[in-house]
Order: sequence, then C-alpha cells, then structure tokens
Amino acid sequence: MKKNIAVIFGGRSAEHDVSIITAHTPIIQSLLAAGQFDVWPIYIAKDGSWYADRAMNDLTYFTKDDFSARLARQKKVRLLFDNGLQIISPGIRSKTIHIDIAFPAMHGTFGEDGSLMGLLRMAGVPFVGCDIFASAVAMDKVLTKQVVAAEGIPVVPYVWFTKNDWETKKDQYKQKIKALHWPLFVKPVHLGSSIAIAKVKDDAALENAVEVALHYDDKVLVEESVENLIEVTLPIMGNDDLRLAGIERPLNKTEFFDFNDKYLSGGKKTGGVNSQYSQIPADIDSALAMQVEDFGRRTYHVLGCSGIARVDFLIDSATKQVYVNEVNTLPGSLYHHNWKKVGVSGVELVTKLVALAEEYFTAHQDLTYTFTSSILKSAGGSKIM
Amino acid sequence: MKNFLSRYSLRYPRFLVYMLQASEYSIRDYLAWYHRTKDFAHVEHRKHLVRTPKAVILLVIAWFFVVVLLGAVIVIFRSTSAPVSYILLLLTVLLAPYILAYALMIPLVILYVLIQRPIEAVIIRRARTRLKAHKAVKIGIAGSFGKTTIREILKTVLSEGKKTAAPPHSYNTPLGISRFVSTLTGDEDILIFELGEYYPGDIKKLCRLVHPDIGVITGVNEAHLEKFKTLERTAETVYELADYLGIKPVYVNGESEYAQKHTRAGHIIYSRESVGEWKIANQKTDLGGTSFTLSGDGKTLELASGLLGLHQVGPLAAAGAIALSLGLSPDQVKSGIEKTKPFDHRLEPKTDASGVVTLDDSYNGNPDGVRAVIEFLASLRDCRRWYVTPGLVEMGVRTREVHKEIGRSLARSGIEKIVLIKNSVTSFIEEGLQEEQYKGDIMWFDDALAAYAALPHMTVKGDVVLLQNDWPDQYQ
Repeated sequence: MKKNIAVIFGGRSAEHDVSIITAHTPIIQSLLAAGQFDVWPIYIAKDGSWYADRAMNDLTYFTKDDFSARLARQKKVRLLFDNGLQIISPGIRSKTIHIDIAFPAMHGTFGEDGSLMGLLRMAGVPFVGCDIFASAVAMDKVLTKQVVAAEGIPVVPYVWFTKNDWETKKDQYKQKIKALHWPLFVKPVHLGSSIAIAKVKDDAALENAVEVALHYDDKVLVEESVENLIEVTLPIMGNDDLRLAGIERPLNKTEFFDFNDKYLSGGKKTGGVNSQYSQIPADIDSALAMQVEDFGRRTYHVLGCSGIARVDFLIDSATKQVYVNEVNTLPGSLYHHNWKKVGVSGVELVTKLVALAEEYFTAHQDLTYTFTSSILKSAGGSKIM
Repeated sequence: MKNFLSRYSLRYPRFLVYMLQASEYSIRDYLAWYHRTKDFAHVEHRKHLVRTPKAVILLVIAWFFVVVLLGAVIVIFRSTSAPVSYILLLLTVLLAPYILAYALMIPLVILYVLIQRPIEAVIIRRARTRLKAHKAVKIGIAGSFGKTTIREILKTVLSEGKKTAAPPHSYNTPLGISRFVSTLTGDEDILIFELGEYYPGDIKKLCRLVHPDIGVITGVNEAHLEKFKTLERTAETVYELADYLGIKPVYVNGESEYAQKHTRAGHIIYSRESVGEWKIANQKTDLGGTSFTLSGDGKTLELASGLLGLHQVGPLAAAGAIALSLGLSPDQVKSGIEKTKPFDHRLEPKTDASGVVTLDDSYNGNPDGVRAVIEFLASLRDCRRWYVTPGLVEMGVRTREVHKEIGRSLARSGIEKIVLIKNSVTSFIEEGLQEEQYKGDIMWFDDALAAYAALPHMTVKGDVVLLQNDWPDQYQ
C-alpha cells in the first residue's frame, strides 16, 4: 500500500511563493514520479488558512491568473494532531486521511524556523528534514555564528543588536560597528532568501540599511564583507552518515547573491531554483574544497541537522580563508539541480529523505520522554517544589 | 456503464469530428478508431480539435443530426402507442450515438465526391504533366520505414553539387507530391520523392505520377501491417517501384530481411558492409556521430556524419554511391555527408542543463528502426541508459511477437532502466524482458505525458534517455 505523504508549503512568510516552487519542483513531482506515495498537498495561504486539495499537486494551480478566485472558492481543510496527523477533507463526503509522513516545504518564518516542526513533533508524525532545534538555530544568523564559532569554525567578525538595542543604545553599537573592517553587510537575522540584505560603505548607508532591516526583523546582524570573495554553498544530506552534494558556486552578476539571483533569474526556465547561474563543482583548489567539506560536515553536526541542509561559505580567495556564513535547513528546491549533477535524481533524493525521516523518528521514539511520578498525589500538600 | 454513457455526453459530437480530423478524414481509419474506442470521454488527450472551416461545418452538421434524432424520438413517441412506442424509443436512444457516428460520414463523402476529388484530380493531372516535362533526374523512395531519413540524406548530399529539391515533411501521397510540384522552378537537377504506401497499388500510382529514374527501397517490415494484413502484400506493394523501374537502378537495403528476399538481378544492395561494388570499413558510432570508409573504383572516401547508429552507415553510403554515380566529386560527397545531422524526432540527441542526454526517437515506430536503436543504445558505455516506449502500433497479427522481441533484445542489451506506458502492447515487451531474465528496473506509467513529466526527476547527469515512438490519440 502506498504511504500517505503530506507536503506542507506556502505559509505566512516573505518566502511564501518560493515555498510553492520548492514544494512542487522537485518535492511533489518527484514523490509522484516515485510511484510509492499518495501525495497530499497541504497549502497554507498568506492569510494563514490551510487547504488540502489534490488539484494543488499541480504547480499550475498556483500560476494561473484565476488563482485568487479559485482559492476563494476552495474549502479549508481540518486537521487532527492527536496521535499522528490526519487530514479531514471538507464537504458532505468528508474523508479522513491518516498521514504517514510529513514533508515540510516551507521557507522562512513559521516553516523553516522550527515552528512547523514543533507542531509535527507534538502530533507524533515523522517529518522530513531538520528538527525544531536545528531549524530554530539555523534561522537565527547570529545564533548560528555563535554555535559554529564555539566549535572552532571560522566566522566573519560581526556585531548584532535588537530593535530596542538600536533605539536605546545606538551610539554604543555604532562604536562597535566602526571597529569592524568596512564595507559591511547589514542583514535581518531571521530572514532567508537574502531579503533586505544590503552592503554598506558609509555611515549614512548603514543607518538606512539598518532601518530597512529592522522593518523586517527585530534583530539585526552587521558583519564585515569578505574581500576577494568567492561564495560557495554545500548541500548535505543524512542523519549521522552524511552525503555531500557538489560544492556550488553561484555565478551571480550583482555584487552579492540576492533574492532575484537566487529565485527569479534562474527559476523560470527550469522550474527550479538557481540552476542556470551556478558552477558545480566550484572551480576552487582542492585544499579549499576539502576545508569547505570539513567545515560543512562539522557545522551540520554541531547544529544537529537531520535529513537535509545547506551550508553557505564565504572564501577570501587571496588569503585562502574559509568562513561559514549561514545554514539553510530547507534549501530552495532542495538544490536538486546540484544533487542531480552528483548522481542523485529527484526521485532518489525525496525517497532517501523520507527514509531518513523515518529513521530519525524511530530513533527518537526509543528515547524516554515520560516517566511515572507520584508528584500529582502530593499536589495540594504542603510544598512540592 | 461509464463508457457506455460517455456516448451521450454533450461533447460526443465534437469528439466524433475530432476523430475524423485526427484521422485526416480517412473514413477507414476513422471507423477503425471509432470501433476501438470504449471511453468517449477521453478521446482528445494529446491534441484537440482544430476549428478549421471543414471541422466547423461538420460540427454544425453533427448538431443538426442530433436535433433530427431528438425530433425523431418525439415523433415516434407521439405517433405510436405503448408498448411499441417504448420499444421504439429505447431502440432510437440506444442507437442514436452510432447513427450519429455513421451519419457524419455522409456529408464527408458528398464533400469529397463533389468538391474535393475533382479539385485534387486537376492538381494531380497538372503535376503529372509538369513532371513528365521536367528534365531533372527523379529519385523515388519506397519502403515500410526509413524513407524520410534517406530522403534527407540524399537531399543534403546531392545539394553539394546539384540543384536538388524534395517535398517537405512527409508529403508522400499523390496530392502532397502534386502540391509540392507546383512550387518547382523548373531548373532543378534532381528531384527526390518519398512514395507513401498505405494500400496495395499506391506505389504504382505514385510511380505513374513522378516517373522515377532511380529507386531506393529502404526495407519491408510490419509497419502498417494492419492495413496490408501480410508482409508479402507489403513487399509486393513496395516493390511496385522496382516493377516500374525495370532495368533502371534500384538500391535495396540489404539489412531488411523481407526487402532482400524480393531483390532481383541488377538491384544494388546496400548495407553497413557495402553498396554494390563499394566496400565499407572502419564503421564507428557514438553520441557524437557516425564515421566509416567507403572504397571502390580506385577511390577511398573517409566519411563522417552527425547521424547516430551503425544502421545509418548503409543509407549514408548508398547516398554517397548515388551522388558519385550522378557526377558529384568525392570531396562534394564528403562534405555533403558531413552536413547530415539527426532530423527532428529521429534519434535526435539533446543535452539539458543538468547533463542528461535525451535521444528523441519519437517518430521511429517500426521494428527495424527499434532494433537499430536498441543496438545503438547498447553500444554506449559509461552511462546509465533509459528506454522509454509505448510500443509500436499497427503491427497486426505480429503485435505480440514484435513486442516480445523488443523486450528480449532490451534484456540482452543490458539497458539499465525501462519505462513502459500502460496499453495493449507493452505487456508483451515485459513478457520478452522476463523471458530473457531482465535484471534492470521496469517502471510503468499510465500515459506518456506522465512518464515525460517524471523523467527529469528520475535521471541524473550522464544518463542517456531514449524516447522510442509516440502514440497519437488514435491509439491511446
């Protein structure tokens, strides 16, 4: 019998549209091609409404001009989270589908940041990809740097502050920032897909960029820019035994790899993310490549990633210094174009990820989370703490 | 029940007109398709009705018939009394879809007899007169398969030294050829014609139209066997070209068993080994193309073509020999052969951004072509090979055997991945695969479109994917 698999995508996030692409290319299309699954798309609209209609397995559902009108007519789905995840289809002939495995495909807030994983953990349903903890840490660029640096992996010097910090102690932070080697990058800490990131060369630009970043996030990171920069990224798959994809170098035209390069320029032709504008494997010398792979494995491990993630690196080609920049726990389109180049097809990728999710789930089921206690009996007594 | 009710859908008249249009208004093909079809809800699958004036007229007539039938139902019900009225009513309702399907042919026949046939007769008569007076050397090509390939090779090679023309696409009927003839300027040195065979006598008719001076018989096999019934009849029809030519040069593909059986004294046999007196050596092929040496008459020609597969050596060499016999220089032949490239949908290689090579052979639907292509795929090394097919159509009584043989040869070739489209013939391919204890993966898809959509998600860099044949709606 085929397994029921729910692909969850969309969401109240700036990366809502990118999530739709990732969910379809390659996830849903590959799961369907694998022929082993009944695929249930669970779409979370921008307003937070949940839908589950098999017509949404087709990407064109979302790209047609009448999408909004069709969605308005669509009935919302009801879900049960006790003892596994169940979809209750709307209508008179209501049907309950027990989901065997969930495949989160949501980028950014509420999806990739661990929120969804928390919900799925509570439901007790196996799910693909990183768990709540790795997701939450990776979503915060500052936390990532702090965890990675503690492991002795190089990161670019930086300063961070919250909205309140900036409003109340701006001068203090500006002093700290001044001490950094300019030009600098200003980044909202929690957003992915390079949204609201700016490179600044002077104080006025800094002020402006911080203002923009604080519009999107309440925590901001200011870091040195790497000179003679080579940006590379490394998708990694596995729980304990890791498999590495090719080291990939985006061949972007703009000064840094922004949202447009990542998703808009490469995506249209191939239906995926970033496939036309990159070099795989990156043309870097083997010593650097080895370092990238080593830092990649260690970063994946220290963050406690599972299933799949992508580690981004900055390399100063003059000094041969490699820095870990950030970690993405749901690489756009799973970076399937890269996996394909190293011999992993879309079908093999998604079926392997499903197997890894089941392996992770089983391993964690064996852990003891509850124990018998007599504490309740003592409740109402003199003092229990 | 669902299938039965599909005949009462509002879209039924439209589907009938679509079936007529997709059968190119051939009543025989339309009726064969009609009787094969069970579910009329899914007739327009790969293509849709194109609203040409002819189709619109037929659509209007179809709806006129529907109204007439409805009127008949009312009249019958009112004018007779129970229980006769109920019986008649039931009969009319039951028979109405069939009556409509057949009634649609009436305007078609009237249209054909009164308008189309006289016009076509004039066009063909003019073409015959024009061709008779035309000074060009005319080459006629007949056979169950490979006609377009050798036509294109000949055209490319001969154009190096002579003004050469040939009808485009698959214009191989009297009307198609005649339309092409009206575009000629009159100063062509060579004209090349594909002679299409659909029923016995077709080639003879075409020979009387084009008056060929040289003939090429590309082979005889099961293609259109459903129409010819026996391979013997196919061979006789194809050889109507040789009958017409008599002692004039006829080149026959020696790699086609059935074609060779019928050769006569004086025919020039071509294969990957030789063409008449010309000898072939050093045959090589890979994804980059095919090369060989042609020697004879004191000359040696090193030839290389972009076409893939050793089965192309014979036709390439034959074209070279014909070109030399028509006065082209060895250098012109060499340069012409170099210019030959895979044609659309005939073992045409394409490499995508992720490094997957697709060999589009979707126009190749005959057993000899399939055998040649499997041989080519088997010869490729250091790659994972995929073979995707819905099987072949119109194989008549040989259907089972032809497909089992495809399965057996796939298994023997060690092709790693086989993708089969579910239909009436692909299970025979599976039988053949099992007979030879095939070790690779067999994947099934409900239709070709689903398979084409899934393939990019199953393949990786370096894979070679062969798309063998494609079924139009008639055969779904």
